[in-house]
Amino acid sequence: MKKSVIYILAAAASLCLPSCKKFLNVQPIDKLTGNNFYQSKDDVVANIYDMSRAFFGKINETHFIGATGEYRSGEVLYEPQSDNGPARAYVEVLGRNDLIRLLGGNQPWDFYNFYRITDWTGYYQVIQSANILISKLETGVPGVTEAEKKQFEGEAAFIRNLAYFYMVRLYGDVPYYTDAFHSTALPRENMVSVFNKCIADLKKYKDGLPWTYSDPALKGVRASRGSVIALIMNMNMWNAGFDKANANKYYQETADYGQELIKSNAYRLLPITEWATVIKGRSDESLFEFFRSINYGDQNLNVAPIGDMFLHYPYKRPEYTHRISFAYFRAEYMQKLYSGTSDKRATIWFNSDIYADNGKFMMLKFAQNSFATGEEDANPDNTFMIFRYAGEILLCAEALAELGQDDQAIALLNKVRARAEASLYTGGGGQDLKDFIFLERSRELMGEGHHYFDLVRTRRIMNGEWSYNVLTLDKFNRGAWTWPISSNALANNPFMSLNMYWVNGGN
Amino acid sequence: MKKHILFYIVLAVCISFFCTEANAQAQNITISGTVVEKANNKILPGVNIYLGNKGLTTTDYKGKFTVTVPVNSTLLFTFIGFISEKVKIEAGQKNITVTLTEDKKGLNEVIIVAYQNRNKESTPGAAVTITAKDIQDVPTSNVENLLQGKVAGLNVQNNTGAPGFRGSVQVRGLSTLSVSGSGSESFLQPTSPLYIIDGVPLDADKAAEFGFQTQGPGVSPLSLIPVEDIQSIQVMKDAQATSMYGSRGAYGVIIITTKRGNSKVPRVRYTGNFFVNATPQLRSTIGGNAERQAKIQQILSNATVIDELRRLGQTGFLADSLNAYWNNSTNWQSIFYGTTHNQSHNVSLDGGNDRFNYKANMGYYSEKGVIKNTGFDRYNLNMNMEFRPNDKFRFFGSLFGSLGSQAKGNGVGLLQQGVAQNGQASTLLPPPSFYLSPDGVTSALQTQNSNSTRNIRTNVDGRYEFIKGLALSSSISYDYTSDAESTFTPAAANAQFAQVYDYAGRNYTLYNRNAITYAQTFGADHTIFVNTFNEIYKQGGQSGIIRQTRIPNDQLQGPVGSDSYNSRGGGVLSNYRNATIASFAGSFNYDFKKKYVLELSYRLDGTSSNGLENPYSKNPAAGFRWNYYKENWFKNWDWLTSGGLRLTWGQNIVPTGTLQSIYGLYNLNGNFNNNPTIGINYEFIPNPALKPTTTTQYNLGFDMTLFQGKVDFTFDTYYKKVDNLLFDRFLSNSTGFQKKSSNDVSIADFGYELMVTFRPLTAKDFNWTVSFNGAINRDYLLRLPAEYNGQYIKFDYNNRQHIVFRVGKNTLSNYLLTNQGVYATDANVPVDPVTGKKYQTGGLAFKGGDPRFKDVNGDYILDDRDYEITGNSQPLITGGMSTNINYKNFGLNIYATYTAKRTILNNALSDRLSIMRDPYALLAAVPLNDLDIWRKPGDQSKYPNPYSFSRFNQIQPLRSDQSLWQEEGSYLKINTVTLSYMFDRKVVRQFGFNNVRVYFSTNNLITFSGYQGPNPENVTSLGRDISSGYPVPRTYNLGLNIELNTSK
Repeated sequence: MKKSVIYILAAAASLCLPSCKKFLNVQPIDKLTGNNFYQSKDDVVANIYDMSRAFFGKINETHFIGATGEYRSGEVLYEPQSDNGPARAYVEVLGRNDLIRLLGGNQPWDFYNFYRITDWTGYYQVIQSANILISKLETGVPGVTEAEKKQFEGEAAFIRNLAYFYMVRLYGDVPYYTDAFHSTALPRENMVSVFNKCIADLKKYKDGLPWTYSDPALKGVRASRGSVIALIMNMNMWNAGFDKANANKYYQETADYGQELIKSNAYRLLPITEWATVIKGRSDESLFEFFRSINYGDQNLNVAPIGDMFLHYPYKRPEYTHRISFAYFRAEYMQKLYSGTSDKRATIWFNSDIYADNGKFMMLKFAQNSFATGEEDANPDNTFMIFRYAGEILLCAEALAELGQDDQAIALLNKVRARAEASLYTGGGGQDLKDFIFLERSRELMGEGHHYFDLVRTRRIMNGEWSYNVLTLDKFNRGAWTWPISSNALANNPFMSLNMYWVNGGN
Repeated sequence: MKKHILFYIVLAVCISFFCTEANAQAQNITISGTVVEKANNKILPGVNIYLGNKGLTTTDYKGKFTVTVPVNSTLLFTFIGFISEKVKIEAGQKNITVTLTEDKKGLNEVIIVAYQNRNKESTPGAAVTITAKDIQDVPTSNVENLLQGKVAGLNVQNNTGAPGFRGSVQVRGLSTLSVSGSGSESFLQPTSPLYIIDGVPLDADKAAEFGFQTQGPGVSPLSLIPVEDIQSIQVMKDAQATSMYGSRGAYGVIIITTKRGNSKVPRVRYTGNFFVNATPQLRSTIGGNAERQAKIQQILSNATVIDELRRLGQTGFLADSLNAYWNNSTNWQSIFYGTTHNQSHNVSLDGGNDRFNYKANMGYYSEKGVIKNTGFDRYNLNMNMEFRPNDKFRFFGSLFGSLGSQAKGNGVGLLQQGVAQNGQASTLLPPPSFYLSPDGVTSALQTQNSNSTRNIRTNVDGRYEFIKGLALSSSISYDYTSDAESTFTPAAANAQFAQVYDYAGRNYTLYNRNAITYAQTFGADHTIFVNTFNEIYKQGGQSGIIRQTRIPNDQLQGPVGSDSYNSRGGGVLSNYRNATIASFAGSFNYDFKKKYVLELSYRLDGTSSNGLENPYSKNPAAGFRWNYYKENWFKNWDWLTSGGLRLTWGQNIVPTGTLQSIYGLYNLNGNFNNNPTIGINYEFIPNPALKPTTTTQYNLGFDMTLFQGKVDFTFDTYYKKVDNLLFDRFLSNSTGFQKKSSNDVSIADFGYELMVTFRPLTAKDFNWTVSFNGAINRDYLLRLPAEYNGQYIKFDYNNRQHIVFRVGKNTLSNYLLTNQGVYATDANVPVDPVTGKKYQTGGLAFKGGDPRFKDVNGDYILDDRDYEITGNSQPLITGGMSTNINYKNFGLNIYATYTAKRTILNNALSDRLSIMRDPYALLAAVPLNDLDIWRKPGDQSKYPNPYSFSRFNQIQPLRSDQSLWQEEGSYLKINTVTLSYMFDRKVVRQFGFNNVRVYFSTNNLITFSGYQGPNPENVTSLGRDISSGYPVPRTYNLGLNIELNTSK
């Protein structure tokens, strides 16, 4: 009797307890929590696309590329006769670097949502997401091979460093972290140090990525080794401008990586006549882009593409509101870029009113792939190009020129010019070459959001020869080239400070 | 597996006792005898006779017994309700007479602890039992209403009169500071006790998960239990008493036992109630032309610019008095409110003895609310049966079926917003008619709302006693609830578009419990009781809605298609639930001579919602009881009938993490590059390091019964500390996330509870009982996350009645502007000596008649920096008292409850005064003669000038965020007065009845309070008197109890 009791008790206990863990594991069907996500390769891919989607959200929420990368040095004027003319006056407000007024509110251009540029939360969301993905990949995701794991880690590392790259160029010093689920408040960190950490981070993951993708739908859209190299080069060049003591190291690294990129032969410059293919996206020239297509039902904010400002009928409709462009590049500036020598870009990327100095001006570079019909008010269906092979060739050339390797620099420069079917550079080396490379970048990358940052990192922004809105050295050092940071950043962060130049009234 | 070690230890302890059974065999003698009762010398049949722990026999119907036992052994005679007696058998004895004394100490001897019946004297926990007698004679839709003021430390506030809804229930003060919602509709997360009905746990907060805006029918599961079917209610308060119920017992446990069959001949009993719900006092308004004159007068005497006078002529209902449309005197409130007549009937049939018994109870309850188009109906059929084929087996089965049907009108849950708004309409408007009726009125009166909750619960319970003392029992129950709501709003009530709303939900709980208990007495003095069990729950639920608008007309209610134009969304709602819980519990109780009792218990709960890393909540507890009256030095104190001292400690450690807070939530975010994207939700950063919420409670109790039960006295004091409460911290935006669930908040409650009962007269024909109970509970906030530096303000931009949490103060305080009276004249307004400007707000200087707000920061400007911490929305003292007199066939019972020291924000008064803010609006005018308001310069008054309409929006003299509305909410309420008469048995037997009793009772009879508003109880759990709340009606009832004569 006693024994049987003991057996019953023992049996009951041993049956109940071990099965308990299984019994308690319930996966909810109404939501995805962390315990039923990251369970397959598809989950990881969906997560990588989500980071691109989120990052693109920052670009798509306002007229981002023009406002941050093009107008602030004053080359662009608005056309008062255009539709809703007063609202387009912001380009000149930007051109005077009067961000306080731009963001002041109660302005006709409020619908452009420029204030969103001052909020960095979106970038940090991308960074958190990437940090989480990397930590999940390190602990292992079922169904992901070792090679895939390295590739996904590389993609995540790329997008988080791209976020830091954008933030440094906008705000200067920023808080930096790479740990998953980071929740503590951090002070802003010196931007040179941030970039050095970013570069080290990128180098760690670079070789896990393929040079390019065989699936044409992924070319340029998913980060490749070329994307990472482009980012490393850009960060180095930025640091070269702000960390003068180590400038040569940065130039050397840029030159080395640029040559690695070229030697890979994974990318090519498409003939200028095939420009429409490049700007549609997914081309062999694309290093990284945010691909958009009406075929996928992608919706862009109407004012987000830069082409919105420089196109009119028949590339934009309806005709009665788009008889002239909203804004134009000064004729003086255009002549400086395209004077004298032959250059196919002047004819293919612009209409005949390239020097008109009014709203007849059109930048056809972004007019390709226009599918709007009838009275539909839509922009051409182009991609949002972030890094393009031509830009990185010129960046490499710039680094080489800075290092005094003029011959190699000229060779690379002429590679780009040859594609544009422009006359080759035959001048000398030294400062002339550097200036020419700068101008070549201005020509080649116009409207792609690089111009203003080139002015800042080369300090040409302080020189009236290169900028219509010259910053004094004092203003430059106080951060006049940055954007204000939204005061939201101060909330719950005792270590945070804003950009003093803007806090003190922006002058 | 570490977690299970304790469980194994308990098992091992349990097992080891089998091996220590001692037996001694010696010479046997046969002895016979009789057992009698001491008081009347009556014989006692069925008395159990034990030798050691071995049951020998029971006395026969003549009280006689015969046993054969060893010489010098000790026989134990036990009988329920009597003190056990020990008799030593010596050689040569043949015939003995054993006298048992009725046990009068602790009138409720047996209590249920961890699903086992236990002798109260050998359990150290704090538990109070209420019998059916205490809650009879008052018809109510929810049994909780009747618990108010019955148990010290159980704070029940019947804060809504909506039929079928629950009030708020708290055991021993505040256990949460989670406040949801905003404005007057803020509500405190309910922390209701765990209810256990006939051994089956039940979630009482189920219908309250969305606060006032209940989704679905919102019928509380407690509303489905007919009061007539309740045998007893036991309230367990301290951590030792509740620890075996696990994490769900953290807020106290209430055990409801329904009636069992207990009569040799079948009994048929009927209870009927016919009751009237009377409308409470409504807002008085000025009617008809008087309203017009009052408004014109207000405009003429307060206008500041010429346009305001011109506007008078352009305002039709003021200027055009001859227009029939504007020339009425409609009592709007009477359209919505009215007295109702209601009834309830209950028939029960029962029979059997302790071998086999059965019961069936059929009930019908119907109550129409005092707001038209609202009400609650309940239909029940409950059955149970118990069978003991022999001493080793016991089976119990029950079936509980009920249908609750509720009409909510056009209100949502507890609020009747539409009624509140339309009740304020101008009396000059014509009364509603078929052709002429404002939206709101049609909506309140014509909305066809049908709600029903159908609940079926079955329970089967078996018990097998292997050997004496060791028993295995198993219980399985299934509870299924189906909720349905359908609302049809006619076109006239919804901006000319008819609308259909349908809600369907289902919930189920499958519950299984297996227990092993072992009771053993060693020698004569040492008794142990071991109780181990495990519980498994499987719970699920899902509900969904459809909503269609723009139905073609008022006839067609479907089928209607779904498209983006007509469909208003729907689908599965967020109360989807799929959870499993597995628990293991064990307790060990030891007593020495029933004098010293020690109880240790431990319970583990694992739930699926806490993730796999740390799914277990742990509940250790220990208790000690000293029945001091058994000590020798009290031997001569005849007046001391019984008494005990209890000391307990218990902890309830509950993991707070959810799958979401540990792992994060991932959302589907649309496509990118034609691929789906899934990313983390940035609202909450996952925090796997969440600590479990730990409630630690100490209880010291003192019981005393004097003069054979003439005086009962129970005192408890406790200290309850809740650590690691969940609290959302906001993060720096450079983390990308908004909030982090952290648990750095602690609160503490401590208090005293006293229950005293006097029975001064206990004669046969005349007895009188007076009882009183009261509890003082204080709560303090002990800790907040470090970055808040000891204070966190929960800003509420809806009505600006902020809540402040400050360490070291009571947990929930208001954060308001301090009102210091009213400026008698313009000259009284202070002037800033620096600028020469008067004290001002929003650029406008204060004047005579404006409220005098304290300028906290001394800058002569009233703004957001002038708020101060004030008040406490939680009551300090609660309790009740009752007296019961029975004289011959008459009975009188008066029962009252009280609540003292709490702050109420009288938003109803602020709303009422604010009606005057805009005389051009089509709103009623309210007479303000009863209020001390400022009327002319020089008046020293309490309330500011409400008539100064042109400056109203800037000065906001009646703003809700001021201490003017803060009032003391103490009250004494006479809940019930019951007068009953029992007809003479001999008379009623001639008519075939066994028993006939009639009674007249009232509920919510009268409330004494200094509070200015209508009812200080009818406020939210945060102490806000909202004008859209449902008033608590006064009830008059005529009832009848009949028992049929079934014996012949």
